Formats: sequence, C-alpha cells, structure tokens
Amino acid sequence: MAVKVLILEDNPVARSFLCRVVRESFSDAIAITEAGDLESARRQIGPLVAGREPLDPFKLILVDLELPDGNGMELLAELSKYPATKIVTTLYSDDDHLFPALQCGADGYLLKEDRFEVLVEELQKIVRGQPPLSPAIARRLLTHFRQGGDSGPMPLNSGFQSSRPVPSGRGAPLDHERLTPRESEVLTYLSKGFTIKEIANLMGIKWFTVNDHIKSIYKKLNVSSRAEAAVLASKQGLV
Amino acid sequence: MSDPASPARRTRPRGGANGPLSTLFPIDSTVESSFGERAVPPSDAMSRWMGWRLRLLVVAALLGCLGLFLLAREMASQPRVDASWRATAENRIELARATDPALGPLVGQQLLAVQADGRLLELRDALTLRPSARWVIGDEQRREHRRLHEELGKALSEPAVQFVFAGGRSAFVQTAPRGFVGLGIAYWLLCALALVLYLVGMVVLMAKPNGRNLLYATLTSLQAGNLVCIAIETTADLALPWPFVATNLSLRAGFDLFSAAAIVHAAALHPRRLPGAPAIAATAWLVAAAITALVSFESLPHGWWWVQGGVLVYGLSMVAMMGWAYRIEPHPFATVLRRFGLVTLATWMLLTASLAAAVAHPGVHQNIASVGSTVWYVFFASLLMLVPFLSRSQQILREFSMLAAVSTVATSLDLLFVAVFSLGPFASLTLALFLSLAVYSGARQWVLNQLLGNSMLTTERMFEQLYRIAREVEAHPERSPVLLSELLRDLFEPMEVTVVQRRVSATRVSSDGSTLIVPVPALGAESAPTQGSIVLRFARRGRRLFNFEDARLTARVVEQLRRAVAFDRAVEQGRSEERARIAQDLHDDIGARLLTLMYKAQSPEMEEYVRHTLQDLKTLTRGLAAANHRLSHAAAEWKADLTQRLTAAHVALDWSFDSDADVLLTVVQWSALTRVLRELVSNAIAHSRATRVEVSLALRKDRFELHVHDNGEGRNPRAWAHGLGLGGVRKRVKQLGGEVEWRELSPRGIGCRVIIREFSSRT
Repeated sequence: MAVKVLILEDNPVARSFLCRVVRESFSDAIAITEAGDLESARRQIGPLVAGREPLDPFKLILVDLELPDGNGMELLAELSKYPATKIVTTLYSDDDHLFPALQCGADGYLLKEDRFEVLVEELQKIVRGQPPLSPAIARRLLTHFRQGGDSGPMPLNSGFQSSRPVPSGRGAPLDHERLTPRESEVLTYLSKGFTIKEIANLMGIKWFTVNDHIKSIYKKLNVSSRAEAAVLASKQGLV
Repeated sequence: MSDPASPARRTRPRGGANGPLSTLFPIDSTVESSFGERAVPPSDAMSRWMGWRLRLLVVAALLGCLGLFLLAREMASQPRVDASWRATAENRIELARATDPALGPLVGQQLLAVQADGRLLELRDALTLRPSARWVIGDEQRREHRRLHEELGKALSEPAVQFVFAGGRSAFVQTAPRGFVGLGIAYWLLCALALVLYLVGMVVLMAKPNGRNLLYATLTSLQAGNLVCIAIETTADLALPWPFVATNLSLRAGFDLFSAAAIVHAAALHPRRLPGAPAIAATAWLVAAAITALVSFESLPHGWWWVQGGVLVYGLSMVAMMGWAYRIEPHPFATVLRRFGLVTLATWMLLTASLAAAVAHPGVHQNIASVGSTVWYVFFASLLMLVPFLSRSQQILREFSMLAAVSTVATSLDLLFVAVFSLGPFASLTLALFLSLAVYSGARQWVLNQLLGNSMLTTERMFEQLYRIAREVEAHPERSPVLLSELLRDLFEPMEVTVVQRRVSATRVSSDGSTLIVPVPALGAESAPTQGSIVLRFARRGRRLFNFEDARLTARVVEQLRRAVAFDRAVEQGRSEERARIAQDLHDDIGARLLTLMYKAQSPEMEEYVRHTLQDLKTLTRGLAAANHRLSHAAAEWKADLTQRLTAAHVALDWSFDSDADVLLTVVQWSALTRVLRELVSNAIAHSRATRVEVSLALRKDRFELHVHDNGEGRNPRAWAHGLGLGGVRKRVKQLGGEVEWRELSPRGIGCRVIIREFSSRT
C-alpha cells in the first residue's frame, strides 16, 4: 500500500518541486495529495475526532507557512495529535518564524531555497528522526526552557519581529518540560554552531545519542507548548 | 533613610546644618521630610500648623496689634501745637508752617523761646529739632538735647503755650490732642513694617520652636521695637511727646546693641555650632547690656561712638564667624550670610561716617539722622525678613532688599555730597539719585549673582548635554541615575552628589537650601522601576544656596530629559517598524518570485545564480529587520551555514573562532561579513575544487581578522577576473574600513586575509 503524503503549498511551481523531492527521497510507493490552501488541506485530512485514530492517515505532511487563507501553523496546531511526520517548508530561515512552528508541533523544517539534493537529504534525515536545529533556534530553545517555557522576546539577533505571541506566564516547569543536563549541553553546543559530529566528540558520546537528545528536545518543546496552550485555553474558559 | 550605610548618610555633617536663623528648616537627615522642606508643588504646610502653635501665633499677633493700637491711642491723645519747624542756616529755629491763626502770620520768623505755665524756655539753637538723642554725637549736646526735650515736652503738653519770636513778636496758642490722623503716614507705615517684622519672627518661632528660632524671633522683635521708636520720632515737632523722652535713648541704643548681640549669638550656632559658642554668646550679651546701661545713664564718655563702634565690632565678628564656620563646613548659607553681613556693615559705616562728617552742619546732620538712619533700619528689617526665605528666593523680596540697599546708598551719598561738597540740597539729591540708579542698573545682575551665586550653565551647553544624555540613556537605561547626576553636577557644581535608595515624590530643597533632592525618573522602559533619588549638597562648591527656582528648574530639566528619551524611543520604534515592514514586503514578494524563478531555471548556473540572489535578499531583509547581532551568535550561524553548504559540496570545513570581546555587530558589519564569508566560501567550492576549507575568525584588541584558506587548484590571484565576486568582497571590506588580500599557499591553494583595525569604531 502506498504511503500517503500531503503537500500544502500555494505556489504550483514550488509544489511540483517538492513532489519531486518527496518521490526522490523514498523508495516506497508514494501517493501524493496536493493542496493549495488550508481549506482544501483540511478537506483532504477529513474530520478529526478526539481519541479515535483517523482511517488511512497521511504519514507525511509538508506545510508551507505563508498560505493565501492563513498561516500553516494553524493547521499544525490542529494536527497536534495527528500521527504523521509534519514538516514546515519555508523561505524564512530565521528563528522568529521557525520557532513558533516547531512549538506548534512540527517535526522539522526544510528551507525552500536549498538545492534539490540538499532537500532530499534533509527530508530523509527528518523522517529518520534527525531533525535539523540551527544555532539561532538552539539559542531560542535554551531561553525557552531556562525561563520555564516562557520564550519571551528574543532580543538583538532575532530576525523578523514575530507577530505571534507565545503563551507565557506559568509557574515552575514540570519535569517533562525541563531539559536534562545532557540535553542542555547539546543545545548549548548547537547554539555555538557545532555540528552533531563535533558535539559527539566533545561530549564523548555517539552521534546518534546526540541525535536522540535533539529528538527528545523537540518532543519536550511540543509537549510544553501543548501544555501551555491547554493552560492558556482553560484560563480563557475555552476548555 | 532606610540604609544607615548609604553614602548620603556617611557624608552628612554631624548635626551642624540644622535650621537656625532661618529656621524654617530642620535637619535631621538629608531626605527626612520636615516642615522646612519645600516640595515643588508646595505641600499643605498649613495642616501641620493646626493646634497649639497656630493658637500661640494668633495670640502673639493679637498682642502685637493690641500693643500698636494702645500706643497709637496714647500718641493720638498727646496735646500738640499743629505747626512745623525747621532749622535755619544760622542754626536757629524757624516756623515753617502753621494752621493756627495766631501763628499763621509768623511763618518764617525765628523762634527764641517757649513759655508755658509761667516758665520760660530759651532756645539758643536748633538742637531740639533732632528727633532722637540717639543721633546726637557729643556728650554735652546729648545731655542738653535731653533736657530741652524733657522741658519742651512738658511745656507743650500744657493747655496753652506762648511762642516768643525774634523781633519781640509772640503768639499764644492752644494745644489740642493730635488725633489719629495727625500721626502722619510715616508713622503708620513704620508701625506696619514693625508689625510684619515681628510677625515673621513669630511665624518662624512657631513653625519650629527651638533655641535658634527663638534668637531669630528676639532679633526681629528688637528691630520691630527700633522701627516703632522711629515711628514715634517722626511725630516729633519741637520735641518728642514727653512720655517717650526719658526712655528714647536707652531704647534705641539697647535695641541696636542687643540686636547685634543676638546676631553674634546666632552666628555662633548657625549654620553650624562653633567651638565656644556659649562663651561667645554670653560675652556678646553682657557687653551689649553694659554699654547700653552706661550710655543710658550718660556715664560713658563718647557714648555715641561706643554704640556705633560696638555694633560695628559685633558685625565684624559675625562676618568673621561666618568665615570660620565656612572653613569648618562649606555650608553655602554661611557665605550668603557673610555677604549680607558685609553689605549691612558697609552701609552702617557709611551712615556713621556721614553723621560724623556732618557734625559741623546741623541742618545736614539732622537730615542724615532722620532720613538716613530710617532708611538704614528699613533696609536692615527687610534683610532680616528675607533670611528665612533665602532658599525660596522670592524674586520680590530680593528686588526689594536690592532697592533698599540702593536707596540707602543714594541717601547716604546725597547727604555726604551736601556735607562734604556743600552742594545745594536739590543738586546733591539729583546727583545721588542718578549715580545710584546707574549703579543699580549696572550692578544689579552682578550683585544678585554675588549675593546668591546665580551663575548657570549656558543654555546651549545644557541642551547639548540634555540630548547627549537622552541618547545615552536610550542605550543604557540602567545608567540613567549616573547620567542624570552628571547633568545636575554640571548644572549646579555641587560638592557632593549621591544616589540614595529612598524615593521622594518631587524635587525639593532641604536643610536651609544646602541640599537638593531629585527623584530619579523612569527613563528606561516604561515598566522599569524608578531608582531612588539623587541628593546634591552644597551648590557651586559650597558658595551658593539651592532655592525654590532651582528645584523647579531641575524638575523641568528632568521632565525634558524624560520627553527627549521618550521621543527618541518613539522615533527608533517607528524606524524599526518601518524597516521591518519593508523587509517583510521584500521577502514575501521578491522572495517568492525569485523562488519560482529558481525552480524554473534552465541551467544549473542560472539556478545557482538565483539562489545566491535569494540568499543575498534574505541577508538584506534580515539586516533590515534586526538592529544588532552579537558576534558570537553571528559566528555560530556562519559556521552552521558554511558547514551545511560545504558538506553538501563534499568539502571539509576547518573552523576556528576566537574573540576577546563579544561585541555587538551593527547591521552593516553583520551583513557585510556574512556576504564576504559566503562569497569567499562559494569561490572555494565553485572554482578551486578544494577538498578542505579553513576558516578562522579572530577579534583581538579590537582588531578583526578573517582567514579563508583552501587547498584547491587556484593559482596566481592577481590575474583573477573580477567576475568572481571578488569585487563585491573588496567593496564590502572597504566599507568596513579594512583591507583584503589574496596569496598563493604552498604547496597548493589560495589564502585570503581580511583585516579590520579599530573594529568597534567602524559602523
């Protein structure tokens, strides 16, 4: 049975380019569904019912952030429980745009201007569980976890001003939202521009262990962000 | 002050600065609130007045008014002959004006004697026309003056008096009570001034009853007494009303000497207690009492000189004591009082000298004695009233005292001219008036500056400072107390500037004007808490008092600073919002099109070219949107970026980064370096077929160095065409104020070196 992939991208040229990347990346049979806006993407995914596994779900979803009828992050937030690998494709490489997307549950990101081969490799890595983590985002993550989930304004080196407020103002972080010392160390090295291999050398561990730490950090970010969203929602009487 | 170890407390002088003479001001702590501290919007001082002090004050005021009323009633009931007399050039008495029909025809005639109740009183000269024995210089003359006044006073209080004129003419005149109207305007004005002076003393005393304020109240009461005496003297025609004759001399001399003693006593206590203050005070009072007693009983030869000299000596010691106090602690109050003292003493000496000089001209002497001395006392009274309000610096009081000083000088000059140069009265008056007006207009500002030390930073310098500080506060909000202290230091040149934790609600002057307390405004971000207060002590190196206007000026300066900062911030925010919007638009519109173009590229070269353009666009927009980049952060991103690109091209990266200061890169530096680095590495990938690229960045002692070495097959860099993007590298390095050079490496490869000296001063 073919692996179902959803590509949400409004630019048709970019969409077909991404289709080629996806087909190139996997040897399995691929069934690609394309969507040009949030509306049709939601139609393709079908109704989401809490507590029930969707039938024949998409295994991989590529989401563009800038869409004609909204922002891809909205969809990512809705799909937080959806059992697919969700990847943000964007032209923005700065942490101000990427970090909120990661908080919304993205498992990784692809930069659209990268060369075909680079994109293929990156995509394969993400699906294998080796998501990228740029120094700027690592720095942002450090701040996020140090402040107990409050990723307040990032001064100085941030890119575009983010218009999206990040939920904040909670008390002491819970265990699952706190980084282990090793994870903090990995993040610190990443924020200084070290590669995974270099970090493995510096810490005296295997490179895939470093990778596990990175995955775990991603997970904690998603969990803490979801918890934040829940707290925020209950405060506003939505839940 | 909550923190006993705070600097303001440490440097506070021990107890010396308490409000004495001035008195409205206490002193416990530089910041402690008390009655004397005046906030810029004056606080509701009245509420603290309620209670026994207010009642006592009302009682004192009522007593004063009652006393004056009884005196006026007594004066009004004294019988008199309604006529005025003047001295002739021959030192005889001449009838100047009369309303009585019997005297009317005799105007201009010389008076020879007065007869009443059967006794004949001969008048050989015009001595009796001197209103007070206080200003009769010779001992003999004074005794004669007193005898004449006693007898004339008695004679004139008979129901009828006969005046005998030269040429055998005489007139019988009925005496009549003077009546309130007959007291004259001068009488009422002087009494009013005396009452005001007395009340000021009482207000000061009631505001804070203590020894020093009691001294001030004593001093004002004594001078009020002097003014009342002068008021009584203005009503004298031929002689003082007889109930006042006996006491006049003792009272006047006593008032003068005791006032001087009180001043010396006060000077020993304020602005700081001098060593041996009790001994000084006791000596002063005893000597004053002794001289007064001896002069009253006419048992001291040259009594007049003793009194004048005694006052002069007291004044000189007061000035000396102020100098002494200033050396112990440079309290500006001492300086101001010393200046006041010198001015007062100078006029006193002038008055004494002109009286002594005019002794041969009885007419002139009489003028000086009545007009000159009155002016001097009014001047002194106004100075006294000014003292408690020095730091309030009421413009009107200041001008008033200036005017009083000038008119004293003018009058004395006038009389001196008449006495010494024998000018006619009119000519000398005109001359003196012109001279003193010229002096007044020319020296007014100078004198004001000297008296209160009013020199200020020039306006331009202040504005320049204000805006410079506004910009610095913008960059370092946490330094605003320091920066503001600097501005105020330039403004007032105080001896001490300290920042204390305690917060005051408004700018205020305290401790007699020696201290100015300024709350530090919230200049930083809106939410930043304000940080305590700045305490300035001893303006102009201790030569000047802070006054109410200084507090207002400071409040305005602070407000201007706050506005300038807020304005700068608003402008900066507007600019960054605008830049962010432009960046967003560029990125969204042009970026999307370039992306499409890149996907549709016909050849790999074209695709690579568009990719470069797209990356440049991203660097550009990111530089637009962000203000500053920390060097370490930028280096991390450069490394990650290069690693990714070189890995994709199967080239190894050897990276090193080393800096002794994590500086903030400006947008220009960041984007230029980003693009230089990218360009150099792209060249290594695209043209040299290198397998290894070595990048090293170093910032040492403000010298930035970048090396990019490859092991490719490039050779002879001088011969390279400029199409390789090297022109762009040159241009950007030049823009940063640095230099770039390429050279061949052995055994193979090309090395590029970029050096930027004085990195942080380039923008």
